[in-house]
Amino acid sequence: MQTIIEVKNLTHVYTDSENKEIKALDGINLEIRQGEFVAVIGANGSGKSTLARHFNALQRPSEGVCLIEGMDTTVEENLWDIRQHVGMVFQNPDNQIVAAIVEEDVAFGPENIGVPTAEIRTRVDAALAAVGMSDYAKHAPHLLSGGQKQRVAIAGVLALEPKCIVLDEPTAMLDPQGRKEIVTTVKKLNREKGITVVYITHYMEEALQADRIIVMGEGKLKMQGTPKEVFSHVRELYALGLEAPLAAKIADDLRQSGLNLQQGIITNEELAESICR
Amino acid sequence: MPITLENVEFTYMAKTPYERKALQGVSLTVDKGEFVAVIGHTGSGKSTLVQHLNGLLKPSAGKVTIDGLDISGKGEAVKKARHQVGMVFQYPEHQIFAETVFEDIAFGPRNKGMQENEVKQQVQDAMRFVGLDFETFASRSPFQLSGGQMRRVAIAGVIAMDPDYLILDEPSAGLDPRSRDAVFAEIMALYKKRRMAVILVTHSMEEAARYSNRLLVISGGRVILDGSPAEIYQNHKNELLAVSMDVPQLFKLSDELRARGMEIQADTMTAEALEAQIKTAKGLK
Repeated sequence: MQTIIEVKNLTHVYTDSENKEIKALDGINLEIRQGEFVAVIGANGSGKSTLARHFNALQRPSEGVCLIEGMDTTVEENLWDIRQHVGMVFQNPDNQIVAAIVEEDVAFGPENIGVPTAEIRTRVDAALAAVGMSDYAKHAPHLLSGGQKQRVAIAGVLALEPKCIVLDEPTAMLDPQGRKEIVTTVKKLNREKGITVVYITHYMEEALQADRIIVMGEGKLKMQGTPKEVFSHVRELYALGLEAPLAAKIADDLRQSGLNLQQGIITNEELAESICR
Repeated sequence: MPITLENVEFTYMAKTPYERKALQGVSLTVDKGEFVAVIGHTGSGKSTLVQHLNGLLKPSAGKVTIDGLDISGKGEAVKKARHQVGMVFQYPEHQIFAETVFEDIAFGPRNKGMQENEVKQQVQDAMRFVGLDFETFASRSPFQLSGGQMRRVAIAGVIAMDPDYLILDEPSAGLDPRSRDAVFAEIMALYKKRRMAVILVTHSMEEAARYSNRLLVISGGRVILDGSPAEIYQNHKNELLAVSMDVPQLFKLSDELRARGMEIQADTMTAEALEAQIKTAKGLK
């Protein structure tokens, strides 16, 4: 499959309030392929948001390169194209909604890039359908639930027809129902429309849905692999300030006590099956 | 002495087309020494409910009392009673406003009328409690701290007021697992030391199961379930799912094991307790 995001030896340095240089990112090498669903996990301050913000050139590398579809994010002329390829969704839905009616909010992006009126209509309808919000097209966004607002924000990005969506903790402010809505929506966009997804989260059960998990710590890429591979490293994750799903943790404890369990257990069903065999 | 709600009703935007009943006939008593978790989906009325506990919102009908005193009135006694209820809002770091960490934490105690030497003592104690070194941090600007540190400053500001009732609205939102555990370790230590009442609003079934000894489930502006977390998670799974709530992973895992013939006690609340039963069942020590 084609590479959509390529990061080579990426380092990002900033100066803090006491004039000390801080390496938010330190020599990251990474490739994300078209159509992948990649979750990024890491403790607060591990650099995961900084990394994600490089993917649509909200931040630029201090050293190394970040290429989006081969386009260098430090080249000013590329920004327009890069930002149409990679859309971003942030944590707080209230900060991302600009209009007083849902469909106008979704139309804001395409209007801005000069899409013809007739096509805007088609794009808005398609985007709202894709996130399951067609029935709310004429509603006022501020009366929607958190999960619904966040789906409108995703529709706003979809209307730009990006190849890749980067979501930075999109469920942090939502209740369990809202979280489920977002994960289901994102997964569907990935599977059915082939949109590349980079999904940053503190919720390990959400990361389980991804094809690949990237683990950040202290500005470095510490681990990566399938959910099974990554979550089998229970103690390494703990040392990075993270936790594995409950089933993986209990499986690890039980193995330590001498119980013979299969490897790669991450779900409750797998653990129960392996114990009661 | 408790906080009580008697038949509390609350209506947002009354007499407008947007009129909405957020609370309907809520009666409730929270005693000191209780650790109450409040769960419910967005819009269920749980935030409206907790904002009644210290008089931030006034009931449209019904009565709220703190230690026997109706707090809808005015006067010194009412003000004092409301000061007994400390509230840590969601994203409390957004409430920080002072130039130094000391000034920010000292705001509450001063407002409460404490003498300056007493204020300093309270600030020192509160900072020690949340793990911020006084010498290092007291004179720093809170806005130069990390997100986790700022949240500690905000919590210290509430603790410094010595509340008898502590309300926490999703204190772990946006924190990674380790910071989450650290914040709760502080809250539990405080709860055990002062035997205050803690009222925790949370979206996490795990947090409710792990820390509370009483669980309130709110839906449609009413308290639909009120009991121990063990009892509610064990016996009311379907009601919880019906109001978009869930049961903790531990209960799901226990159910998977039971479905395959293993006996797991109904009151199993921790991973350690579950592991012990699995080991016994598999003949390990």
